[in-house]
Amino acid sequence: MDPKSLLANLYHDNHAWLRGWLSRQVRCPQDAADLAQDTFLRAWDARQLERIREPRAYLSTVARRLLCSLWRRRKLEQSYLEQLAELPPAFAPSAEDIALVREAIEAIDRVLEGLPSRVKRAFLLNRLEGMPQQAIAELLGVSLATVERDLRRAFVHCLSQTAECP
Amino acid sequence: MSTAKVDPVTRAAIDWMLRLESGQACPSERQVFKAWLAENPAHLAAWQRVAGVLKTPVADLHAVERRSPGQLQAARRALLASTVTPGKKTLQGGLLLLLLGLAGAGLVDRVTPLAGLTADYQTATGERKTVELADGSLLTLNARSAVDIQFSNGQRRVRLREGELQVEVAADAKRPFVVTTAQGQVQALGTRFMVRQGSDESLASVQQHSVLLDTLGGQQRRIETGQAVSFTATQIDPQTPTSRSQTDWLQGRVELHDEPLSALVEALRPYQTGMLRISPEAARVRVFGVFALDNTAQTLNTLAQTLPIKVTRYGPWLTLIEVRR
Repeated sequence: MDPKSLLANLYHDNHAWLRGWLSRQVRCPQDAADLAQDTFLRAWDARQLERIREPRAYLSTVARRLLCSLWRRRKLEQSYLEQLAELPPAFAPSAEDIALVREAIEAIDRVLEGLPSRVKRAFLLNRLEGMPQQAIAELLGVSLATVERDLRRAFVHCLSQTAECP
Repeated sequence: MSTAKVDPVTRAAIDWMLRLESGQACPSERQVFKAWLAENPAHLAAWQRVAGVLKTPVADLHAVERRSPGQLQAARRALLASTVTPGKKTLQGGLLLLLLGLAGAGLVDRVTPLAGLTADYQTATGERKTVELADGSLLTLNARSAVDIQFSNGQRRVRLREGELQVEVAADAKRPFVVTTAQGQVQALGTRFMVRQGSDESLASVQQHSVLLDTLGGQQRRIETGQAVSFTATQIDPQTPTSRSQTDWLQGRVELHDEPLSALVEALRPYQTGMLRISPEAARVRVFGVFALDNTAQTLNTLAQTLPIKVTRYGPWLTLIEVRR
């Protein structure tokens, strides 16, 4: 069977079930519909439709991953909006700028995902705010050598990811 | 991803980045680094990969930060909110600033790490430096400035990459003395003069004798003692003398006569570790007086007592100036 028919079959047999499963997870029909759509898109992108033996196990695995990433993004967005609320009104950014910041922090979050919090913190202070290594050591209460090791680890983490998906 | 791996050249480039940014690299190490970069195209490519890490989102955040102060810090906090930080309690406020002062550390522009890190001479945040050049000329750099020295048999050239310099030129009729910026060049005609590299224009002012200004776009003008001009590649604009064109920074101070507060903040910025932001309304408040550059926290506190403004510190890395209500 050609890939398009495979996808059509997969969709036909499982779409309603997947939406139902997702609705129970997110409790928002719109989100569930979007996530279901994204799940089938991922399945299509994977180009291995003919190899799927257990469609529902496969789809729920993909959907679970998308769900995690959605929750992660929402949490990130939420904490950013909380930070925004703490700034005085005179310094409120425009709607366009808020959108730009959201996109930027999502991109950074994706790249740094998986790093321990201290490493992440040191790296963000250094790359984002330009804090020198010595100052980071003082702030985090660790040695200069530790900061250097953390920064090196973060660089390696970022660069090995780029190598995987160019 | 604890098993992350990169190739040895990339690893070497990461080591260079960390070394150059440590604030401990000496000029000879910078020479070794330059040689390493030139040695093999793969080295340059690796360096650019390392310098390019998170470049786009960070540049976006910096652009937003310039328009709406506080966003960088908000972004960092949001990014860290999802992960719990174990370990020691962090130091706060003034104590950290003090520690930073002692460490003598400087901020590096992350958007173009190649600029400041490889310069022949550079100054950190809050640092001024005077160097005697090979011909006997005296070059003084304001805080957060970087220059390259390119002397040859026919010309003495100083490339101002960022920041501000003043030079007292030693006479040498056979070799013209030239300071270049991104917008043009300023040639000494036996002289003491100042040049500043701004974000998209340059400024030149003359303290003694005169200089000849040539912009990249072919505009030319002679500038005499006491005069100041700002210039882009295509345009030269005479400036009335203000704190911007004065050289009081050589003595660690800035003097303003009925100028906007934003002018004072601009002068303080290279001396402030961390971000210093001013609201548009506060930027218009008029200022008179002489202010010290070397202790920005104290200068700002004094201002808050005499002007209708409020200075708020959000942790050690962000200071906001607003109008008091």
